[in-house]
Amino acid sequence: MLGDLGTATLAAGLLGATLAALLWLRVALLAAPARPARAATTLTVLAAAAACAVLETALLRHDFSVRYVAENGGRHVSVPDTVTSLWSALDGSLLLWSLVLCGYAALLARRRHPPRLHAYAMAVVSVVATFFFALSALAANPFRDVHPVPIDGPGPNPLLQQHPAMAVHPPLLYAGYLGLVVPFALALAAPLAGDQGRGWLRLARPWTLAAWTALTAGIGLGAWWSYAVLGWGGYWVWDPVENASLLPWLTATAFLHTARVGGTRHARWNAVLACASFVLVLLGTFLTRSGAIASVHAFTESPLGPLLLGLVLLAVLAATLLAGRRDVAPAETPAPPLLSRATAVLVNGVLLVTIAATVLIGTVAPLLTEPLTGERVSVGPGYYHRTAVPLAVAVLLLAGVAPALRRAGDRAGVRRLLVPAAAALATVAAVGLSSRPGLPALTAFGAAAFTLTGLAAELGSAPRRRLRAVRLAAVLAHAGLALVAVGVAGSSAYGQVTERTVRVGETLRVADVSARLVSVDRSTTGGRMVVRARLAVTGDGTSRTVTPGLWYDPARDTAVTVPRIDTGPWRDTYLTLLAVAADGGSATVRLAVNPLVGVLWCGGALMAAGGLLAFGGSLRRRRRGPAPPARPATRVEVAA
Amino acid sequence: MSPRRSLRLLVVAALLAAAAVGLLRSSSSGPDTDPVRTVAGGLRCPACQGESVADSASPIAAAMRQSVAEQLAQGRSPAEIRRWFVERYGTDVLADPPARGVSLLLWAVPALALLAAGAAALRTLRPRRPEEAAGRAGPVARRRTPGSAAPPTPRGPTARRLWWVSSAGVTLLVVAVAVAAGQTGRPAPAAPPADPVAVTLQLARDLEGQQRYDAAAALYREALRDRPDDGIQLRLAFALLRADDAAGAERAVREVLARSPESPDGLLVLGLAQRRTRPAEAPSTLRRFLTLAPHHPAAAEIRRLLDS
Repeated sequence: MLGDLGTATLAAGLLGATLAALLWLRVALLAAPARPARAATTLTVLAAAAACAVLETALLRHDFSVRYVAENGGRHVSVPDTVTSLWSALDGSLLLWSLVLCGYAALLARRRHPPRLHAYAMAVVSVVATFFFALSALAANPFRDVHPVPIDGPGPNPLLQQHPAMAVHPPLLYAGYLGLVVPFALALAAPLAGDQGRGWLRLARPWTLAAWTALTAGIGLGAWWSYAVLGWGGYWVWDPVENASLLPWLTATAFLHTARVGGTRHARWNAVLACASFVLVLLGTFLTRSGAIASVHAFTESPLGPLLLGLVLLAVLAATLLAGRRDVAPAETPAPPLLSRATAVLVNGVLLVTIAATVLIGTVAPLLTEPLTGERVSVGPGYYHRTAVPLAVAVLLLAGVAPALRRAGDRAGVRRLLVPAAAALATVAAVGLSSRPGLPALTAFGAAAFTLTGLAAELGSAPRRRLRAVRLAAVLAHAGLALVAVGVAGSSAYGQVTERTVRVGETLRVADVSARLVSVDRSTTGGRMVVRARLAVTGDGTSRTVTPGLWYDPARDTAVTVPRIDTGPWRDTYLTLLAVAADGGSATVRLAVNPLVGVLWCGGALMAAGGLLAFGGSLRRRRRGPAPPARPATRVEVAA
Repeated sequence: MSPRRSLRLLVVAALLAAAAVGLLRSSSSGPDTDPVRTVAGGLRCPACQGESVADSASPIAAAMRQSVAEQLAQGRSPAEIRRWFVERYGTDVLADPPARGVSLLLWAVPALALLAAGAAALRTLRPRRPEEAAGRAGPVARRRTPGSAAPPTPRGPTARRLWWVSSAGVTLLVVAVAVAAGQTGRPAPAAPPADPVAVTLQLARDLEGQQRYDAAAALYREALRDRPDDGIQLRLAFALLRADDAAGAERAVREVLARSPESPDGLLVLGLAQRRTRPAEAPSTLRRFLTLAPHHPAAAEIRRLLDS
């Protein structure tokens, strides 16, 4: 019953998306009225919302005749976990994906942009929506019925049931990924729309900012989730799925910068970066949803691989054909001098593109080498540490240089860098002489000090210049980046770990923290066996009890470690229970001290806050009407 | 030079020197770096995802760390040890791929990306003369007559034809998805990246070769947990027998014999174990082994044992 209803909504969505694509093309090519096209877009978003609602209802009502519920639902699963299991497996997450995509399409449809540019962009978005609805309806229908109807299901993957971040991480990531469809569509539409295409950059900015903010927050939450749940105490392993989310973030960041500074001189850069961002989103979807790459959190075993690869190739082809023969507007402004922010932004673009290329080849190399040479090659964190990390430190330095070059060709800008440079050298000297964090961490500390000092100077000089929201947003985001660098460098350089099997009453020690195993308790709750080790942790002059656990989920035959983190102001004490002796007399415990991890999360939050502020600023500016071409920004004051 | 200026120079010079010392100090490896950890950090744990042998908690990684430590103690170089592991477990045991063959792409692609993006940036930065810029603008811009605000819109039959072609394209997209979805179906699950059990067994055999039967037996037990198999169980029994744990070997082999009472290898191990635990029963077990497998490689040896 629910299953048939769901299949019907998917069919309606496929029909609506196809109609929308055709009607928007009519608007663009034949100047037909836009009202029917808008109606088709509305129908599509309603169908997507209905499909998600039906699947959610089936999950909540434990209707195991629906395939997705039979595979991912369970009577023992709590209500919040049941709600989030909509996106805990491939087919359901594809529905959420379509809903977010159609949401963007509906929002874009309401805009009053130049009509031809708008219609072409809507046609592009609708074609993408058509493809994903076709996938859901024809290849990965979660509503297919199951015979015989099972009595109970296994529940979602237990790893996904432990942390509140899991409730918001995937929707945020999708909001980030799919928001990038708008700059992509506008970049493709611009050369088709002739003179109307000139303004596409300004139109794309709020969308890109919204997507970038969501993507930043999503990546940050994902790192937090793997830190708090996976039990090995790390937040980033250069795993293919993590890389897939980083790739579009890198190019979108570069796009935000080149689109802001330099204007028409960077026309080709802007088009290529906008297209690359969404193509990388699609490529990431292919990598993580086709089973091509095994990963901690990839959806494996799916028939969607060839189809998604086809879409990637189609997008690349369209981008090459359209953006490649783009009408490059003659540069009306004289070339900016070498020491200007435009140059800094360009160098930033080069570095970010290189990092993206590095991460991309590292991610796909294992896929490429096996069919070519028959030899399986693994690319570990060591590769990225030697390639991407130095480039990232250079990007951070650049973030410190750029604000000083406020005005084009300002020689005083170089002098403004003296104090930050002195701060960086002092930091390197102090840290390098008092400890041995290793070369990468030391340079990261120096670069962070450089950037933070420069930003502080910028803030300090603000009252005279009346700080605009856009400047404040940039300061926040760049300071966030510097803090992230400090957190990553500090936790990887000064982290300490020990792992031992201890009997009850024995003590583990790392640095000045000690943990004494007090007891091992077992219990069975809600169909899962839970073992908890009670440890008395002493450090920083205080003592508290921490109880890491081990869950065994018989329905999926998996054991899950539930680490416990004791968060201090400057460092986390991280305890994982790895194994327990059968008699309960001893336990294998991993004790880690991770300094500066809190700084990392603060930095991520600051970056997202900066993105949000810039998004608000760009919306307000748009409400005040189009800006004069020479000075693109109206002044928006921050309520002090 | 004003005193203030020279003071500033002095401060900068002092900072530079101190920072250089800090960097130098940090780049040389500290006294506490463990060579075993360095080598193990370059090896990938075959049973885990994304963890190095140095960091992983799995028993395989522990055994591999042990092996690294022993080889280092024998005076082998880290490169030799890495080669030893590659020969046994394949290239993907290395955390970082060697820079040769297709793996060169890993270094070539970033370099090319840097060069290409850098060249594009240089072209953007180069000052352009107006006529050159107009020439670069391409045919679309040149075709446009100055002063006409209207874009070159296709009108009439051309636009209509374009519309039909693009609608056919959209329909084709849906049809292509439908056809492909019908053909692909659910593929067989992809083979796991490396069979952890096979790697465990290989490692256990290596340990047996080094006469470390206790460690080998522990790994066989590990492998059995993932893959209950009589062959592995027999190897476990052999290893236990050689580790002087005859009682353990007997227990292990009796499980095999309970399933297949005629297993010659099982009877052989049982008989040899019984020679230590219950010498009275050993001859009859070994005779049964000889009648069942008279041409077994160990048969001659057993006959000699029984005759003596």
